[in-house]
Amino acid sequence: MSDTTMAPGALPADGVPRRRRRWNASLLVGMVMTGAFLAIALLSLVWTPADPNQVAPRDRLLPAGSAGHLLGTDALGRDVASALMAGAWTSIVVAAGAALIALVLGTISGLAATSNRQYVNETVMRGADILLSMPGVVFALVLAATIGAGVGATIFALSVFFTPSFTRVVRAAALRVLEEDFVTAAALYGRRRLFILARHVVPNIFSVMIVQFTLYFAVGILTEAGLSYLGVGVTRPEVSWGILLKEAQETVGVASPLAIWPGLAIVFAVLGLNILGDGLRDVLDPRLRRRKS
Amino acid sequence: MTELVLDVRDLVVRRDDLVAVRGVSLQVRAGQRVGVVGESGAGKSLTALAIMGLLQPGWRAEGQVLHDGVDLTKISDKAFSSRRGRTLSMVFQDPLSALNPTQRIGAQITGVLRRHTRVSRDEARRQALDLLVQMRLPRPEQMLRAYPHELSGGQRQRVMIAIALACYPQLIIADEPTTALDVTVQKQVLRLLDGAVKERGCALLMITHDLPVVAAMCDYVLVMYGGRVVEEGPVATVFRTPRHPYTKGLLESQPTLDNIGLDGTGRLPSIRGSVPPLHAMPSGCAFRTRCDRADGRCETVPVLEGTESRAACWHPVSVATPAGAR
Amino acid sequence: MLVFLARRFAFFVLALVVSSVLIFSLIRIAGGNVAAVMLGKGASPQAIDELMAELGLDRPLPVQYFDWVAGMLRGDLGTSFRTGEPVTDLLVDRLPVSVPLALAGLALALLVAVPVGTYAATKAGTPTGAFVATLSQVGIAIPVFWAGVLLSLFFGVKLGWLPTGGWTPWTVSVTGAIRSLVLPMVALGMVMAATLTRYTRTAVLDVMNEDYVRTARASGMTKRAALFRVGVRNASLPLVTVVGLLAAELIGGTVIIEEVFSLPGLARMILSAVSAREVIVVQSTVMVIVAFVLVVNLVVDILYGVLDPRVRVTR
Repeated sequence: MSDTTMAPGALPADGVPRRRRRWNASLLVGMVMTGAFLAIALLSLVWTPADPNQVAPRDRLLPAGSAGHLLGTDALGRDVASALMAGAWTSIVVAAGAALIALVLGTISGLAATSNRQYVNETVMRGADILLSMPGVVFALVLAATIGAGVGATIFALSVFFTPSFTRVVRAAALRVLEEDFVTAAALYGRRRLFILARHVVPNIFSVMIVQFTLYFAVGILTEAGLSYLGVGVTRPEVSWGILLKEAQETVGVASPLAIWPGLAIVFAVLGLNILGDGLRDVLDPRLRRRKS
Repeated sequence: MTELVLDVRDLVVRRDDLVAVRGVSLQVRAGQRVGVVGESGAGKSLTALAIMGLLQPGWRAEGQVLHDGVDLTKISDKAFSSRRGRTLSMVFQDPLSALNPTQRIGAQITGVLRRHTRVSRDEARRQALDLLVQMRLPRPEQMLRAYPHELSGGQRQRVMIAIALACYPQLIIADEPTTALDVTVQKQVLRLLDGAVKERGCALLMITHDLPVVAAMCDYVLVMYGGRVVEEGPVATVFRTPRHPYTKGLLESQPTLDNIGLDGTGRLPSIRGSVPPLHAMPSGCAFRTRCDRADGRCETVPVLEGTESRAACWHPVSVATPAGAR
Repeated sequence: MLVFLARRFAFFVLALVVSSVLIFSLIRIAGGNVAAVMLGKGASPQAIDELMAELGLDRPLPVQYFDWVAGMLRGDLGTSFRTGEPVTDLLVDRLPVSVPLALAGLALALLVAVPVGTYAATKAGTPTGAFVATLSQVGIAIPVFWAGVLLSLFFGVKLGWLPTGGWTPWTVSVTGAIRSLVLPMVALGMVMAATLTRYTRTAVLDVMNEDYVRTARASGMTKRAALFRVGVRNASLPLVTVVGLLAAELIGGTVIIEEVFSLPGLARMILSAVSAREVIVVQSTVMVIVAFVLVVNLVVDILYGVLDPRVRVTR
């Protein structure tokens, strides 16, 4: 096969060295944004300007920049900055927790679905298809309202609906690796399937798993906020950005800056994670590389 | 002298500072068959795509490409499009991916006919059927209604040729038309292409790394290396008495009974090293890093010189020691 | 093609059965006791048991399940324990809010995303292309309810053009109903458009790099014609799949946006039914929604089979 005679757009063919880039703008921006988000969340565990649940009737609806209240207070006199910080931690616990559970379950089921036994394959994949066609928000709504809202129920609901996507992605990536010659060689050499999966497949699909985790971390933040906004996700005394928005809308109306801050916080965190995910994809897995924009 | 259907002058193809084609000139006369040979990375395909004006975004062509009374590098996309497929057409390497998977074969052939000629739907269909018959495709009626995935590789390539021939172009550019096909099918497809081109009197620019194909089908040959033409001339002359060391090396590395030996114990000669990547192409004569004859002079670019055939080399192979052609 | 259709339809039926079992067991295991809620605190266990028996909730679960499914097959979604109203009637009240909202949101998303995504693909590698890509990246990060809040802040509060919430029924005033739906629809549509734009851009870029686009150009198609007749058509294949996958997301978004604009749609109905432990209402409504998504996916897959001749053979 003569390479140059193919499309000159296929980069490796035109003789241009295709170094694996170690660094790119997306990665940098994403890491800075996500780093800031994580740092603020971690800080909230040891220190917040005030107790985010501390009601202070005399300090109601202070504007941003008031003494001791950087972003002002809400209708009950609670400190907004503290609430936003605490909300960051809730986002991480729920979203990252759900994404992590989905990652583990999805990896197990995705690898199982590469089995040589057709019925195992079919069962897992059709099951994933069915779960994917269930509207997650509606289910979470029913679930949370029946077993009770809260951090645990929200994580459970999210992880159930994230898992099938992980299953599909892991399976597709694993099948690609299983076709590689070195895997065939290992099989011919007499290695057991479990050994091959653990030793050859998982390390090679690790980058895919990381990227998928990052992107679903972001989806989790959005969904958690949505459920909490509906009142079926996280509830006080836990603080969630969704709750803050709901409270702002109900007590003072949308015109208040109180309705702006939580939204901005969500956009910042989600955008950072999505950009980071794109950057990681470019660096870790050249096969998944999206086209240059 | 018959008229020129293609006159390429000093074609340069580059992407930013990567120069893949470094000043190629070539002429094709009406009805003539010109072969372009060389290894991967020689710039053959980019030359063809540059002529067709189909370079990928980011690549730029400089120089002149004269065809049908215009310089193709200067005209609008609309003006160029009205010539592509009508006066100038192309057959690509990989027939598996070159046909639209969601469109029936018939529609893909009538599409080009109806774009360029004022024929009715029925007439276009009749002509498409004729083309399929000419291309010796089995059950042509059904084939019109088939989708590309239902055809074999060889059949698809014949459809590609039918599309290229549909409007009786002055020139067909075939870029490795048989490389992706099984060896047994290659010959059939080449024979069909050969016959169809001859019958229509259209010129052929054949791009390939397969020297026997050029020997069998072409009148004139250009040998490319490192983005330049290093030798050109009538096929018989160049193959019998190659003057550039690269051409000689290429010809000698073709397996024949002589150099392999009947018992297979012989050693096939080869050119040492490999084609350097584009960004590391040596200055001067690009071949000098692989050439036994290279010396200080080769650091300046040699020009094509000669009478019957022309070679760009400071130390050409003397005509007195002909290398056995094929 | 027939085999493909048969297999696809068999999966549809299977999915319906599996999801009905899932919904039923989830709600019955975790669902709480409707009788206790109806009778209020302090009701005697005896009274609760009697009411359970009256409502038929004391029967074995499999019996109740088949009863429920058989009813649905006859078109009977059950009745509310509390009011005795058929669930079908409850749904009919709510659908004129939710269905136009969801469909208009999706339509708006497609109307924006397909042209913008295609444009971004043709401009890939230029500052304009990067700008559109960044814009859609930001759009994806905006939660639908916040988009709703911002819109009602601007067009409702600041400009006073449209209501910030509430519902005027179609029967009262058609323009009133439309006015109450505009902002929720735009919020829903814009957020979905961001995701779809990204998918469209990738799909068109992928197709335009295919060899057959080059063939089309080599046989005389202009850039524009190749983009529209080959590029967009073939890119619609992956897009159709994405729209199918987005159906579930669309419902989730609709539920949330209804809450933002206090619209009396399905979200309200499910929320109040859940808190009243109206198990039949909840399970039938959720089942209707799931069935809707499954039908959308069925249609999408069949459409895919029609658009892409390869599928009919390979699947």
